[in-house]
Amino acid sequence: MTDTEESGDRTAHPWPPVERTPRVGAREKVTGAARYGADHAPPGLAYAIPVVATAGKGRITGLDTAEAAAVPGVLLILSHLDDLGIAPAGYVMADGYAFQSLQPLLDDRIAYRGQPIALVVADTLVAAVHAAGLVRAAYDEEPFAVELDAAGTETVLQEEALPLPFLADVVVGDADGAYERSPLRVDAVYETGPQHQVPMELIGGVAEWHGDTLVVHEGTQSAGALRGGLARQLGIDPDRVQVITPYVGGGFGQKNSLQPHLAPLAVAARRLGRPVKLVLPRAHTFHAASFRPVSRHRVRLGADRSGRLLAAIHEVDQQASRRDLLPATYTEITSRLYGISSFRGRQRHVRTDVQTPGYMRAPFEHPAAFALESALDELACAAGRDPVELRLSNDAGADPVTGKPFSSRHLAACLRRGAELFGWAERPPDPGSMRETDGTLVGWGVAAGAYPVMTVPVLARLRARADGRVLAEVGGHEMGQGITTALARAVAGDLGIGVDRVDVVVGDTRVVPHHLTAGAWGTNSTLLAVHAALLELRARLGVPREGPVDVAAAVAAAGRSAPEQDGAEVVAEALTKGPGQPPEAVDRMRAGLVAPAGPEYPGHVAFSFIAHFAEVRVAPAAPRVRVSRVVSVADCGRVASPVTAEAQVRGAVVWGIGAALSEHSEVDPRFGGFVNADLADYVIPVNADVGRIEVAFVGEPDFTLNPTGVKTLGEVALVGVAPAIANAVFHATGRRPRSLPIRVEDLL
Amino acid sequence: MRPYTYTAPATLEEAVRALSEAGPGTKVLAGGTTLFDLMKLDIETPPAVVDIRALPELAGIDTAGPRELTFGAGALMADVAADPLLRRDYPALAESLAKAASQQLRNMATVGGNLLQRTRCTYFRGGPPFPCNKRLPGSGCAAIGGLDRGHALLGGGDACVATYPGDWAVALIAFDAVLDVTGPRGTRTLPLAGLHVEPGERPDREHTLAWDEIVTRIRVPVTAAGRGSTYHKVRDRESYAFALASAAVAVTLGEGGAVEECRVAVGGVATRPWRCPSAEEELAGAVLDRRSARRAGAAAFAGARAGTHNAFRIELGIRTVAEALRIAGERALR
Ligand SMILES: Cc1cc2nc3c(=O)[nH]c(=O)nc-3n(C[C@H](O)[C@H](O)[C@H](O)COP(=O)(O)OP(=O)(O)OC[C@H]3O[C@@H](n4cnc5c(N)ncnc54)[C@H](O)[C@@H]3O)c2cc1C
Repeated sequence: MTDTEESGDRTAHPWPPVERTPRVGAREKVTGAARYGADHAPPGLAYAIPVVATAGKGRITGLDTAEAAAVPGVLLILSHLDDLGIAPAGYVMADGYAFQSLQPLLDDRIAYRGQPIALVVADTLVAAVHAAGLVRAAYDEEPFAVELDAAGTETVLQEEALPLPFLADVVVGDADGAYERSPLRVDAVYETGPQHQVPMELIGGVAEWHGDTLVVHEGTQSAGALRGGLARQLGIDPDRVQVITPYVGGGFGQKNSLQPHLAPLAVAARRLGRPVKLVLPRAHTFHAASFRPVSRHRVRLGADRSGRLLAAIHEVDQQASRRDLLPATYTEITSRLYGISSFRGRQRHVRTDVQTPGYMRAPFEHPAAFALESALDELACAAGRDPVELRLSNDAGADPVTGKPFSSRHLAACLRRGAELFGWAERPPDPGSMRETDGTLVGWGVAAGAYPVMTVPVLARLRARADGRVLAEVGGHEMGQGITTALARAVAGDLGIGVDRVDVVVGDTRVVPHHLTAGAWGTNSTLLAVHAALLELRARLGVPREGPVDVAAAVAAAGRSAPEQDGAEVVAEALTKGPGQPPEAVDRMRAGLVAPAGPEYPGHVAFSFIAHFAEVRVAPAAPRVRVSRVVSVADCGRVASPVTAEAQVRGAVVWGIGAALSEHSEVDPRFGGFVNADLADYVIPVNADVGRIEVAFVGEPDFTLNPTGVKTLGEVALVGVAPAIANAVFHATGRRPRSLPIRVEDLL
Repeated sequence: MRPYTYTAPATLEEAVRALSEAGPGTKVLAGGTTLFDLMKLDIETPPAVVDIRALPELAGIDTAGPRELTFGAGALMADVAADPLLRRDYPALAESLAKAASQQLRNMATVGGNLLQRTRCTYFRGGPPFPCNKRLPGSGCAAIGGLDRGHALLGGGDACVATYPGDWAVALIAFDAVLDVTGPRGTRTLPLAGLHVEPGERPDREHTLAWDEIVTRIRVPVTAAGRGSTYHKVRDRESYAFALASAAVAVTLGEGGAVEECRVAVGGVATRPWRCPSAEEELAGAVLDRRSARRAGAAAFAGARAGTHNAFRIELGIRTVAEALRIAGERALR
């Protein structure tokens, strides 16, 4: 087994030219053959449904389960009145496993409306649902605050509350002084959120005991966290927990950690001696997992008269729960998108009475880019400059924060190529100057985005088989982003065999340990390990370091020369991690914990970049914004799988359309929680809302970063879509949107 | 969701008998897209349902005339929306269905059930802890002073401002539709305008149908104005969303573009399907142009009462009526 950091070995291992491999598993998905966690239906299955609190905060003073228990078929009702014998799993960002530190059902405290207070288990789903509706709770209610400006919130400075170096406020030069001296200034407040991830696959799964081993089938982005977290909660050895999650029906951050329903589900399964399934109703998912918190951004930009940036100040207030602080990194990209010599960031948390908010696709970068890129558009207007030109003239050479070079930075190429594909040169500068005969206003907007490239520890094992097939067992998760396709392509391309000769297993703790797949690091991190494992495999097969391999013949030959191998397969393993990551990072990965900060690249910083161009139309009678056209050009290093990469970007543009124009989780301060908790009222775009989307890639491999040349894509793809749309709305109407979503009433 | 008994009689007569036998509280089940939805939310809790979806007496549509169009209450929204004659001669009726819900729902839902769909008010549908006079008489109204962006501007009161969300009934009321109703006391005919009631003091009472009556047929008198009609619907997304404001409009134009016949109803903004006689009067004899269309819109919303977050829908509603008149006027000239 090799244990490498990224090696500088770049040329020895050329990658095959980009081919359009179809998505692995596409057919299974569209025909319904793909098995998701909750599709698992072992014999003897029982069904669970939670009961949730209707109070906004307080204590449960009475819980009447008698009527529910009398429903025929009801097997068990778990609540705080029972002793579940489970410990909290801890908050994922504080050495724990769960999306929040609070584990419901352990005491009588209610922290937020929608918190589970009981779990009903029955022979049938019908009985469980019926009984759940009959559980009656009484509460001693306390005042609560669910909005940023409400009385009773508490605001804390991130620097003080989370004193970690990578969470310190970014301060470069004297931004306040430089701002005051700037001849051109923009000072505006922008706001987004709350929003929910609402992936198609609901939260839920099946817990069953095989002897004293707990087997969990559930869609998750972090099988390792479920394994480690459930072991901690149940007080058992992690090796007695198996998590199987071959497909995730959309995660977007919602499924990036252990959810609190699972430990009680495991307890129920153990008590009943039966497997138990729980699929949360859609309405519950709005309170059962994390969400994108409200964030409010005050951005001040100072520039010279030509629009050359001299200073930026970015102050953010982010909604938090009472218990946990989601480490905020909004300023990580706003300090680096442009060559701003003086920058000051300040990030605060506002504690409210909600479940702990968390990661939702580009969790900080999407709101941060909305703020910064809108402000930049305001600056372009003030300076009388074209917004693309303004961005190009403010491009950064080295990283403005550390002075290190970027491993690669092709933002300018993204902007130029995007402008060309979009036809930007035709854009008249003045707002309201593109009008169709029926009075429809047309606007064009641009915005840029960036996202840090992170790399996490991964173990990859390759099994070359006597029949010429290769099985790749990799610590990662297939949540639709296409990781399986990228891995199969990498193995097939390297060995010169067909993609259909490669089988990939991800999302199965029985074969390899799993780090959380999020932050867009899945593909580059797993490719790094597979790359190393391929070199190891070639060595074990006794074949050259490059060139096509007759796998069947090589396995047979290896079997002859090494009789201790049974001749059936040759196995190679590699464990890789990000540069600068301490060995503990690997231990943490094995334990299902997130890697600590880093990687810390010694000689550079690493980011992916993107530019989005949007065209909007605003009809005169009902001025609802329609996005007729988007062009997105990404700098994600080498494109590991074109078909799925394009799908990632198109999906992100659709997300951005929803984020910009319709998605909003409604909060009624009198009741707490979220009110529009279903897919009729939480408005995500439908096909008819999505115009033409054109996707292109710069495609320059980043071999400074790693030997595969692959940066990251899934997150950066969303960053900047919303401000491109908002800027287009301004160009169409002359009205500047400063909070999302931009709805018809904002333009009436 | 509660357990309930289910029966699927073979004829209308049997269905009427099954309803009476099952007793008050029993619900008629058609496509189930409203009823099952609300049963799953524990908002509707009928002890028994009588499935009428396959009753032969409720099937079929006839859009050929000569005196009236008839729609069996059990006809599917999808089928009626796609009817070529209806699309040509009464585009407002066809569009009101085509722009409602989603294709999957329209494949399940019936045009009879559609009339009796219930409000989308989140406080009504959300159950506890929200007070709701419609769901729990006397408990109060969370929407008043709350998140009322989608709530009614017309026909509301101190007890309830829940919007009637349907589209089809708005188009039908513009065309003076009538309903044939059958129950244990025989058969009667009811103007659609007499079906829905405003909340007043009793928001839990939404219509004048008795619990044991079945709508069998919807009838629409033929009118030349059908050709010059449209159902214009403004919503938060392009499809699969209820109206922020909608207008069903039909006109015939005479010499010089003067309005002869005119029908205006608005949807998504009132507690029941809302015909607008004052808008129609405003237009009668006038030349249909931007100004008169706008005046008609303003007349339609003259009595509007806004809450906290929904005032913008008055202006939106006025513009929606005006825009609908523009489209209908163009069609009337073709
Ligand atoms: C997500 C979603 C979006 C939607 N969007 C829209 C929209 O944009 N516009 C719109 O107009 N509608 C919309 N709808 C509502 C939908 O059109 C109605 O649910 C449907 O038309 C109801 O018809 P059904 O046959 O399913 O009725 P059911 O659900 O079976 O019945 C509805 C009610 O009518 C009663 N009933 C049914 N038939 C009869 C009869 N013949 N006689 C007496 N009583 C009867 C039932 O007892 C019940 O109370 C939407 C629904 C959903 C779930």
